[in-house]
Amino acid sequence: MTSSALEIRDISKNFGAVKALSHFTMALKPGEIHGLVGENGAGKSTLIKIMTGVYQPTSGEIIVNNTPITFKNTQDARDLGIVAIYQEPMVFPDLDVIENIFISDKKSGALVNKRKMRSDAQTLMERLGLSFDLERDARSLTLAEQQTVEIARALSMDAKVIVMDEPTASLSAHEARQLRNIAKTLKAEGVAVVYISHRLEEVFEIADRVTVLRDGQFISTRDIGDVTTDSLISEMVGREVGEFFARVPNKARDNVRLRVSNLAREGVFENISFDLRAGEILCMAGLIGARRTDVALSIFGIAPATSGEIDVAGKKVNIQTPRQAMKLGIAYVSEDRRKFGLLLPMPIFANTSLATLDKYISSWGFLKRQAELSMAETFRQRLNIRAPSVTTNVADLSGGNQQKVMLAKWLNMQPGILIFDEPTRGIDVGAKAEVHKIIHDFAAEGGSVLLISSDLPEVLALADRILVMREGRQMGIFDGGSSTQLSIMNYATGQNIAHEVA
Amino acid sequence: MIRSRLKFSPQNLRIFGLIVVLICVLLFFATQIHNYLNKDLFIRVSTSVAIMALIAIGQTLVILTRNIDLSVGSVVGFSAFFLGGLLARNPNINPLLVVLAGVGFGSLFGMLNGLLVAYANVPSIIVTLGTMALYRSSLVQFSGAKSISTASLPAWLVSLPRMNMISIGGYDVRVTFVITLVVMLLAHFALTRLRAGRHFYAVGSNPAAARFAGINVNRTVFLAFTLSGALAGLTGFLFLARFGNITVVAGLGFELKSVASAVVGGVNIFGGSGSVIGAFLGAILVDVLDTSLVRWEVISEFWREAVLGALILLSVTADTLLSRKLLAISLKKTKSTPKQMAAFEDSLTTRKGL
Repeated sequence: MTSSALEIRDISKNFGAVKALSHFTMALKPGEIHGLVGENGAGKSTLIKIMTGVYQPTSGEIIVNNTPITFKNTQDARDLGIVAIYQEPMVFPDLDVIENIFISDKKSGALVNKRKMRSDAQTLMERLGLSFDLERDARSLTLAEQQTVEIARALSMDAKVIVMDEPTASLSAHEARQLRNIAKTLKAEGVAVVYISHRLEEVFEIADRVTVLRDGQFISTRDIGDVTTDSLISEMVGREVGEFFARVPNKARDNVRLRVSNLAREGVFENISFDLRAGEILCMAGLIGARRTDVALSIFGIAPATSGEIDVAGKKVNIQTPRQAMKLGIAYVSEDRRKFGLLLPMPIFANTSLATLDKYISSWGFLKRQAELSMAETFRQRLNIRAPSVTTNVADLSGGNQQKVMLAKWLNMQPGILIFDEPTRGIDVGAKAEVHKIIHDFAAEGGSVLLISSDLPEVLALADRILVMREGRQMGIFDGGSSTQLSIMNYATGQNIAHEVA
Repeated sequence: MIRSRLKFSPQNLRIFGLIVVLICVLLFFATQIHNYLNKDLFIRVSTSVAIMALIAIGQTLVILTRNIDLSVGSVVGFSAFFLGGLLARNPNINPLLVVLAGVGFGSLFGMLNGLLVAYANVPSIIVTLGTMALYRSSLVQFSGAKSISTASLPAWLVSLPRMNMISIGGYDVRVTFVITLVVMLLAHFALTRLRAGRHFYAVGSNPAAARFAGINVNRTVFLAFTLSGALAGLTGFLFLARFGNITVVAGLGFELKSVASAVVGGVNIFGGSGSVIGAFLGAILVDVLDTSLVRWEVISEFWREAVLGALILLSVTADTLLSRKLLAISLKKTKSTPKQMAAFEDSLTTRKGL
């Protein structure tokens, strides 16, 4: 065996008190495809960012060519031929393919020799087994083509290690196959490819070895011939479901509050059908890209469905705007609180009353400031929002407290149906438990909850029933009590299609 | 406890800071210019602020929604000219009707801006850059490039600018100044106490979140432009009264001065925060600097604009740094460290996978 292309030894990375990665060791051989798998939040992204110089490790060593190296930034890593390619390619939309490939080229000096660039680009594309018009603007390329432009850019800089982070998550089956072929070509050229994917069948198809990461720790590295899907999944999810996630069943009542039948948005999702009862928590589980959020957005009127039917409290409804959805008692807590949820430069009270300002209008049409403030104060105490006062700007709160402000905004609407989209993403364990309690209390008081979560322990702890989606399709609805992480994961990854559990 | 906190909100601190800066500027020029702080200065500044503050208020409404209105100067000019022509032909027309005509025409201009920005999704800087020229040219066309002169205007209008509401020890408070003051208070009240006002701030802070909360973002932006146009129309009336002699360049450059007033007054150019009281004080500060520099012999005429520009930059920078510092102090009391948390969250939210 030749020496490693890149070795990381005993790497740890802490963010404050949180250990994102602890004592992790891994070696990449030239000319191999190395699968890297792990749950959400297992530390894969932190690992990549350390390998490519985005983060500096708290402790441990990175070794290239038998010499310990410190990367001060991504440029240092790139100079040594270590490049990452992400699910969302980073291309310059207004530049053409050639210019995109050579955008960070330093060898050719200040003068741009377009003709030479063109022929070099042609050669690179041929090496990758591709052919498309090099003079098109990157804007007009598909996501898959943009990724190949990025790969070509990496090759033009003599990349030794290419990290592919979920490269096929948003690609069609055909495009994904093409990308896997490119990975194989790279391997044949002696490049070490780190391949991160939640589609285990892909990993089995192309990887030579696979490393499992869980809770920031190294679990195993094995030859692909020595593992099975089941052994991989059980290593990935192998943790004990801790005391934070004790399961409490809810008392679902008989009346169906929301019925969705054959809902579809063309090209996005299709044939989604479920009932949601009062007092029930229905979880939508699935991988990133399963289109769960799109279903929620169509129910909330942001991106209305193109076919199918929605009934609220037994009546057929047509929801085209968020306002109509809100009038029907539907609230949606977005997964991206910074982008779609909060008015960061504004105080807590203005955020909590945003969706319900009508409640604080006097008969003269004026805002009832005092009522608004005291409502916010009530929520601050009830949800334990840690802020000096409700006039504190939301931008100054921690993630968990921002999340609670967003919850307060929608809880104050007293909706009948509350859609939570990844309500605990990016918040610490303590705040997570508090958010779980809020969701439980809401259901206990007779509210209907549609919960989208990629955190399987969370799904199992909260759900009465679990709807599993995969690539825009409904894989089935299962009983929360009798499901396991393994069974859900099998449906979400498409390993299990035939036999339904419940 | 809630009430006492409200008094020290960053916005109020900013207004307090502006008043301090204003006093400092006045004291500085008092040492430089002989016989500076007197009745004349007060009257001069208050009459000219009556005009500038009015459009600064309209500009503030637009900036709050993450937009900008560069057409206000042209609307002022058009309105002044249009009303002047109207009065020259019908001197006996009811004054109230004249004001309403100005406001109405201004609103129409504002609506056109609002329509293009809110419903056709053209960036406001482009729309209003275009309408600025368009309105100005139609003024030239409409007027036949002739001027309005004081002689053709009715006496009540010509005497309006010198009409006093009240005079305290020789400090004349002009009616026009009071009109602007009233408009400012109304606008302030509307922004803080009406639902539509809250929508302005929400849309400027985060348009996507506003939409997700069921707010009609387009309508809010449209309303902001309409109001800005209406206020520019009203300003046109006051402009006509004050100057009497109106040419086709009336109101030229007002758009930038109104933006400067708002920004100096602490209105965030990226939308979502600021107050009309701030914009009003900003207009006063800009005007005080403007009038004082004329009288300050150290500065030659050529450098006046440069010094004014530098002082505006200075006051905005100082204001930004100061309020950030104050924020940091008030944050020390709470435990969380937002920056650290943000970095950590970033690492979490970018994790993809199972």
